[in-house]
Amino acid sequence: MQELVLIQPGGMARGEPLREAVEADGRREFEERLAECGPLAYRVARGVLRNSADAEDVAQEALLSAYRHFDRLRDRNRFRAWLVRISFRLALDRLRSRKRREVRDTLWSQPGNVPPPATAEDLAASNEFQTHLDRALEELPEKLRLVLLLAAMEGHTIEEIAGMVGIPTGTVKSRIFYARKQLAEKLRCHANTIKTR
Amino acid sequence: MPCKHYKDTLIEAAASGVEPEGELRAHLEACDSCRAGFAEEQNLFASIDAGLHATVNAKVPVSLLPRVRARLDEAGAPRNSWVTNRLVLASAAVVVVVFFAARAVQHTNVRHQPVEMAGKTYVPSLAPPLQNQNTIVGPRVERNSNSPRPFTSAENSPSVGAPARKNTEPEVLVPRDQEVLLAAYAEQWNLHKRAPLIAQDSNATILAQLRIAPIQIDELGVKLLAEEK
Repeated sequence: MQELVLIQPGGMARGEPLREAVEADGRREFEERLAECGPLAYRVARGVLRNSADAEDVAQEALLSAYRHFDRLRDRNRFRAWLVRISFRLALDRLRSRKRREVRDTLWSQPGNVPPPATAEDLAASNEFQTHLDRALEELPEKLRLVLLLAAMEGHTIEEIAGMVGIPTGTVKSRIFYARKQLAEKLRCHANTIKTR
Repeated sequence: MPCKHYKDTLIEAAASGVEPEGELRAHLEACDSCRAGFAEEQNLFASIDAGLHATVNAKVPVSLLPRVRARLDEAGAPRNSWVTNRLVLASAAVVVVVFFAARAVQHTNVRHQPVEMAGKTYVPSLAPPLQNQNTIVGPRVERNSNSPRPFTSAENSPSVGAPARKNTEPEVLVPRDQEVLLAAYAEQWNLHKRAPLIAQDSNATILAQLRIAPIQIDELGVKLLAEEK
């Protein structure tokens, strides 16, 4: 026979254990998703920031923010898409503030604090194409950038990206196409490939 | 260098990652430079894809999840927005109810005041501007102890020192030459509560001041234009 328990939501003595149980359920549910989606938040942030330390900070912030507002997410199956958006937004914010800081530091830096010029060996060792790619990626429109980064991640199909971003698969394909094309236009002068006769 | 005619087609074919077909395929088989250009373009897109792949598929630091868990412990339970929303809504409802209740009370007071005054046979006070606004001496009345009590606006209005909102009687600005007459009118109104009685009891000489003199128009002189010249 099923046991019935009288619960008084307004009563403190019985309400507290119930509340704690609900919180524990929420925490457990979030933890289940954390292991699966934590790397995704990091990779999105890494794709925008291209810096491991900053990406880790942003991923932490994104996951913490997701946890704080976890009960607002009615469809828990949308957690990945939701987390991707949070991570992308936070990463963009961090990127903008980093740029502002760099500009400020450049303006206020003293001649004595300027690092010594890179040697020829350093320049040769640096991945020049990657630097240009990073810069070109930064200049992409946000909606193209997010889709391209998600497409570059391992294990993401077009359908999954469409589900995460909330757009049709055809739109995902066209955004990937235009994003790659724009990147190629910016990098072609560095790759020095096509020249018309 | 590829042919100018096929340049855009080559780039789009390389960007889409689809093998060229039809006319483009036939041209590539025939044109060495376009084939070389297409290969370079494919290499460019391959480099882009490799760079992107390296960027976003970097190894996730092992410290990420433990740190997140530690911060989750610090943060405590997620906020129950349902409860928060209910509190906010309840607070907003209380504010709205209080606001409308205050408005309703204010309107009720405004409506009741004229009714109460009508019941007390309200008579407007007449006061000259910038003078003794509390006392208006009636006609043919000297200021002495034997004379009838002069009409005072203070009888129906609060004292001078009282707050302005309590002084609900309207005050009328009158010409100085009609001050005495209108004071008498007000006194009669106060005594008899009927306007027609004023004419019977008032002095004709006083009422004469209200009569308007007929307009005096001089005879018009008409002249022809020719005469004017």
